Amino acid sequence: MRASAFKIFAMLSGAAYGLAFYYDLGLFRYYPEVNQFHWTASAESGPVILWYGWLTTAALFSAGVALVVPRRLGERIPPTLVWVVPMLTTLAILVYERRWFV
Amino acid sequence: MIVALLIVHGLLAVTLLGALTHQAFSVIRAPAAAGPRSFIDRFRRVNGAEYANAVVVLFLVTSVGGALLYPQYRIDVRPMLEEMDARAANGVFEIKEHLVAIGLGLLPIYWLFWRTPLVANQTASRRYLTWLLAFIVWWSFIVGHVLNNIKGLLP
Repeated sequence: MRASAFKIFAMLSGAAYGLAFYYDLGLFRYYPEVNQFHWTASAESGPVILWYGWLTTAALFSAGVALVVPRRLGERIPPTLVWVVPMLTTLAILVYERRWFV
Repeated sequence: MIVALLIVHGLLAVTLLGALTHQAFSVIRAPAAAGPRSFIDRFRRVNGAEYANAVVVLFLVTSVGGALLYPQYRIDVRPMLEEMDARAANGVFEIKEHLVAIGLGLLPIYWLFWRTPLVANQTASRRYLTWLLAFIVWWSFIVGHVLNNIKGLLP
C-alpha cells in the first residue's frame, strides 16, 4: 500500500498545487498583519498569504486520492512517472511565471 | 527573534544544500576509473543513500522555518519590492514558493526510493528526483539570500 500511495502522492501533489495556485483554490487565507485565518477573502485584513492554503489543498487532495486508489492500480504506475509529472509541473509553473520578467 | 530564526533557517539551508549536492553528484553515472581521482571524483564518491534521511528532515525543517518567516516577508519586504517596482524580485520569490511546494510533495517517494537495499529499476527515478530536489534547493537558497540582501543590491 505504501509504495503505490507514495507514487500517487508524488505525481499528484505538485500538479494539485499548481491547479490550486492557478485557480486560487486555497483552503484558507492567512492575514499576517492581523494574525487571522479566513476561509474567504477579507479586504480589510491587510496583505494576504495564500501559499499555506494552496499547500493544504494540494496535500489533502493528493493524500486523499493516494489512499483511495486501489493498491493494484497504484502498483502499475511506472516509477518514471513519479519524476516526469513533477518535472513537467515545474516546467509549466516556470513558463507561467515568466509574467514577472516581461 | 525573527533575526535568530532567519539565521537558523539560513544555516539549515546550507546544510541541506551540502547534503543534497553531494547526493546529486553521487548519482551521476561514473566514468571508467583510471588514473588519480580528481576533487570532483572524491566529492561524488559518497554513499547517496546515507544522505536521504538527513535530506528529508532538513527539507522539512527548513521549509517550516521559511513558512514561519513568510509573514514578516509579506508585511515588510514584499510591499517594499512593490514600491520599488522590483517585479523580477517578486517573481523569483513566487517561483521559490511554488518549487518548495513541489519539493515537499516529492519527499515521501524520494525517501522510499532511497531506502536500502536500493531497487535497481528505480535508479533513473532516484537520480531525477534527487536532481529535481537539488534544483529546488539551489533556487530557494540563492533567491533567499538575494532577497535578504536586496536593499544593498539594488541601486
